[in-house]
Amino acid sequence: MTFLKRKKPVLEGGGVVLFREVQEALKAEKVVKEAGYGVKLIAPPPELRKGCDLALEVNLVEKPGIQRALDAKDVGYVGVVPLKVGASELLDIVKVTDFGEWVMVKAANMKLTFEKRSGTIVNTSGGGCPDIPHLHAEMIEKKLTDVARPRDIGFTLCALMLDRALDEGLELWQGGPQS
Amino acid sequence: MMLLAGTVPVEGLPLTCGAVTAGGEFIVVDGRRVPCTQGTAAMISAALATTGYLGLEPPQALVAGDTGWGEGSRAIYKNLIENIARLAPRVLTLHYCMPDMSLTRKLCDVVGKCDHRPIMIADAASMYAAKAAGLAEVFDIFTPDATEMAFLADPEAIHPAYIARHLFDTDISRTPELVATACRNRSAARLLLVKGETDYVVSAGRVVGTVAEPDVPALEAIGGTGDTITGLVSAFAYAGLEPHEAALIAARANRVAGQAAQATPGTRVWQVIEQFPAVFREHLCRWSRICLAGGGTP
Repeated sequence: MTFLKRKKPVLEGGGVVLFREVQEALKAEKVVKEAGYGVKLIAPPPELRKGCDLALEVNLVEKPGIQRALDAKDVGYVGVVPLKVGASELLDIVKVTDFGEWVMVKAANMKLTFEKRSGTIVNTSGGGCPDIPHLHAEMIEKKLTDVARPRDIGFTLCALMLDRALDEGLELWQGGPQS
Repeated sequence: MMLLAGTVPVEGLPLTCGAVTAGGEFIVVDGRRVPCTQGTAAMISAALATTGYLGLEPPQALVAGDTGWGEGSRAIYKNLIENIARLAPRVLTLHYCMPDMSLTRKLCDVVGKCDHRPIMIADAASMYAAKAAGLAEVFDIFTPDATEMAFLADPEAIHPAYIARHLFDTDISRTPELVATACRNRSAARLLLVKGETDYVVSAGRVVGTVAEPDVPALEAIGGTGDTITGLVSAFAYAGLEPHEAALIAARANRVAGQAAQATPGTRVWQVIEQFPAVFREHLCRWSRICLAGGGTP
């Protein structure tokens, strides 16, 4: 008797890289795999098709690192988006809290707080991805203007949100010392 | 045994497992020093302060260096999948890790087959992965902040960066509504401790308690003060308190410790953690049935 066993998927990434050309998708698979990320060639859902019927499923949380790997090898792609149709766009709004001597900027789950007088980052908080404690150590006690960008040295969506908080912090700071 | 698992920002630190000891700004796991900063180390340090006060066995930690590549995260998940049945912890807390739905699913499968299922607690990206994989209900306790609560309530989001804009705009007073939505979507653990201006403790979809005092707004800005709550609730659950009691005491203790540290947005989390023994000495007996001889001194 033969038993058919369904092979379990090796990746549940929740994200998809979209391409215009099949060749780009194949090249991207190699690049992303070589960079150490989990990846699977898939047909994108019809709603997400952008001209090519081949896409890469990736871990959406690793979007910044994957984009950096593709950019470094000049692989063209249309975007990295959630696989679930109907999912929201990346959050683009921030909230600002005034603590008197300090200002806290919040983007999604990430918060960055700086001293108004000096523009020095005194804390970062929130998030849950493994690059966040590393970025915390890298950023605190540095000036907003001098610090490495989380989008350049981080790898995850949490890092991307921290970068948005830094953007807003810079805008507030460069708009003049906070009263 | 209480087993606390997560990555730490120490490049090159191999998978390390062992009992935890501490010294101020560091924790020590199996002889290796890890800075007590935001993330898993803050969580472990708070749990250690609690077990130390209560005279319980110190936590066992499973940590690995990971600065965002995900290697340490995968090593932790794989180790747990292989060894959790043998280790048989009473409490298993999962913390900072690269969210991986497949590995989370495998781990939950293995835990489900354990002779003695641990109390399962998740925070940070381990919670994100559990929710995104549809496994939230496997967990006993989640400790989201207000934004993460909105993430749990958003049926489509697989990370808080993708929550719907109208949910991000939500203030903490709408937590009960978000909780109801998350429970309806089966995206909530059995108990939620929602950290915010007011902390909400929610059991089986029902708000069973809130904590709003003392009000220490600066705690939100301090990296690691949510992680300490996860460590506290883990330790009090390990001590045998009901999850909702553990959560209420954790929320109170964190606020009082912040107040005692005279927290500002520039305070470091270890400065809050070092207040816990004094906070427990002064308040724990009144907050709980845990009253140690000598006025609370263990």
